[in-house]
Order: sequence, then structure tokens, then C-alpha cells
Amino acid sequence: MNCPFRSEDASSDFSLLLDYTAGRLDSQRTAMLDRHMDNCADCAALRVEQAAVWDTLDAWEPMPASIDFNRRLWQRIGAMESAPWYERLAESMRMAHWKPAFTLAGATLIIAAGFMLDHPGGRVPVTGGSSTAGVSVTEAEQVEQTLEDLQLLHQFDSATADVSNVSKQM
Amino acid sequence: MIQGDNSVVGISAAPDLDAQLMLRVKEGDDESFRLLLEKYRNPVIHFAYRMVQDRAISEELAQEVFLRVYRSRQTYEPTARFTTWLFRIATHLALNWLRDGRKERGQQRLDDDRDGEMPAREVADRLPSMEQRMVYQVRLQEVRDAIALLPDKQRAAVLMHKYEEMEYAQIASVLECSESAVKSLLFRAYESLRARLAHMVTGVER
Repeated sequence: MNCPFRSEDASSDFSLLLDYTAGRLDSQRTAMLDRHMDNCADCAALRVEQAAVWDTLDAWEPMPASIDFNRRLWQRIGAMESAPWYERLAESMRMAHWKPAFTLAGATLIIAAGFMLDHPGGRVPVTGGSSTAGVSVTEAEQVEQTLEDLQLLHQFDSATADVSNVSKQM
Repeated sequence: MIQGDNSVVGISAAPDLDAQLMLRVKEGDDESFRLLLEKYRNPVIHFAYRMVQDRAISEELAQEVFLRVYRSRQTYEPTARFTTWLFRIATHLALNWLRDGRKERGQQRLDDDRDGEMPAREVADRLPSMEQRMVYQVRLQEVRDAIALLPDKQRAAVLMHKYEEMEYAQIASVLECSESAVKSLLFRAYESLRARLAHMVTGVER
């Protein structure tokens, strides 16, 4: 006969056999598989083998928890609750799977550092076009400094003018 | 062809009262957390123990599981079964521990740790003779070895299926894979176990 457990998708059919062996199927399906087992020696053998494996696994009984398990847990909860806000924030960030973000940030920093080392002085190389296109950081700082100097001069001029006016009035 | 398995009778088909308890924890009710802890302490420790086969580590992992549950209480939303969420945390921690530590530790702990099973006195109570006790220890060791030799995900799937009696959909949700992937994991895992434990199985005629 054609055995449904010998199909291409054996794992799917095997799960039904597992449920049957574990007694997790409803009565209708159980009866259907009972009939199948009567006529399929391979499935009947598989069923017995699987049941035996489960019996064997049942022999593995771990011990119950340590007596002070709950006490230790509540201690840790107490310590966690009384921790400063920044520690709790750091912990929740750790729990929130921020590792990839940290990795990304680290990689970005390394790339940026490598770029800066490769181009000391902050000058960006210009590979074509006019030379004015490559305005460097240094040039920007110089312009800023000049503007500040002009502002100082303007303030100095104003102050000088005020002093002369006062002198004339006296 | 026999199709479908939606009529499977599972213990986890009951209404999710645990999620309701967790919602109370969210509102500040620590007593509900105590109830959840009492209910799931041993299942989580046993699951972790069977995953890592080290008693001290399994308790440490279980502590971390419950600590995370408590810490996440304010953001908890019952989008899945409570046990799915709980075992997802436990599985991730166990898989991470296995992944991070395997290279350093090798299989040393698996061979060294023998304090995670029933005490000898309890075994003696059940088994009347020294010979039977020795048979039990040998049998136990073979089971441990057979489980330890399974790939991590297959092991997690078998433990949840066999010992926690979870449904395929729930195991899939814990392992964050499809139901058919779980069935495939279980198929291969039980196939390996049947092969490795075949010599312990008596009275089977093929």
C-alpha cells in the first residue's frame, strides 16, 4: 500500500506520527492512524521506536531549583531597581539589542578616523573642476576669524568716536 | 496523504492566564510575578539545564530570564503567549551562551558536570539494586550525550516539544522560524536520537 509517511515531505507527515505516538491527536485521527498501523509494518515499527526514544528521554530528570533561587533573584531585582537611572538606561539599551547600532557607530568612527588620517589638515582633494570648489576647513576658519576681526575693529571705531564726542563736549 | 494537524490536543491550548498575570505585574503587582516565578522556575531551569548541561550555568541563565521578564514588565504587551515569550528569552540566552562559550570551553563542562540529575538517594529509592542503579546511570549518560550531540536549534526544538509539550506553531514562534522548519528540525533530531539510542531500545523488531 502507499504509505503517507513515505512521501516527499516526510517531516510534515512525521509530525503527525509524533502527535499520534504522544497521544496528542483527537480520537478521529487516532482511530485513522490505528487502522494505518495495522496495515503498515514500517510505520508500526517507527511508532514503537519513537515511543521507546521518548521513554528513554523521560529517564532524564533534572534536579529542582536551588533552595535560595528565589532569594537570589529578588536580591538582584532589588539591586536593579535601586541602581542609578543611567545604569538602568544602559541595561535597557543592552537588552534592546543595541549591539548592532554600537557596531555600526564603531565602524563609522573607524572609517571617519581613517579618512582624517588619510587627509591631514582637513583638505579635501579636488579631482577636477575649478580650484575654488575645494574650500577647506582651514579656509572657512580664516574667513570666520577675519569677520570677527572686522567686528572688533568696528567696535573699536565706535568706542573711539564716543570718546572724541565726550572730549568735544567738555 | 494525511493532511494538517490543527486538531492536535496540546496542554498549551488553554486560555493564556499567564499573560493576564503578567499584565498585573505590569501594573505593579509583584505577587503575580511570584506566581509566575513559582510556576515556571523549574521548567525554565530544566530547559536551560538540558540545553547547556551545567547546573550552575542553567540556574544563572534562569535568573537572567526572570530578571529580564521583570525588567520588561512596563513595556510588556500580550502579543504572544506568555510561555512563548518566556521560552524565547530562555532559548536566546541558552543559544548565546552555547555560541559564545563553545570555542573556549569545548565540551569540558558536559563531561565534568554530573550534579544536575536526581540525587543518588532518590535513584536508590526507585531502583532496588546496585546493578539497576548502574544501568540507570549509564542510560542517563547516553541520553545526555545523545541530546548534547544534536545541533543547538534541533536540541531546543526537541526539548520544547518533548518536555514542555509545546505545539509546532509555538516552537516556531520561540525559534522565530516557520512551522515547517520546526517539523523539519524535529524530524532530523528524532531521527538522530532513534539512531543513537537504538541500542537502548529493547523489543523493537524492524
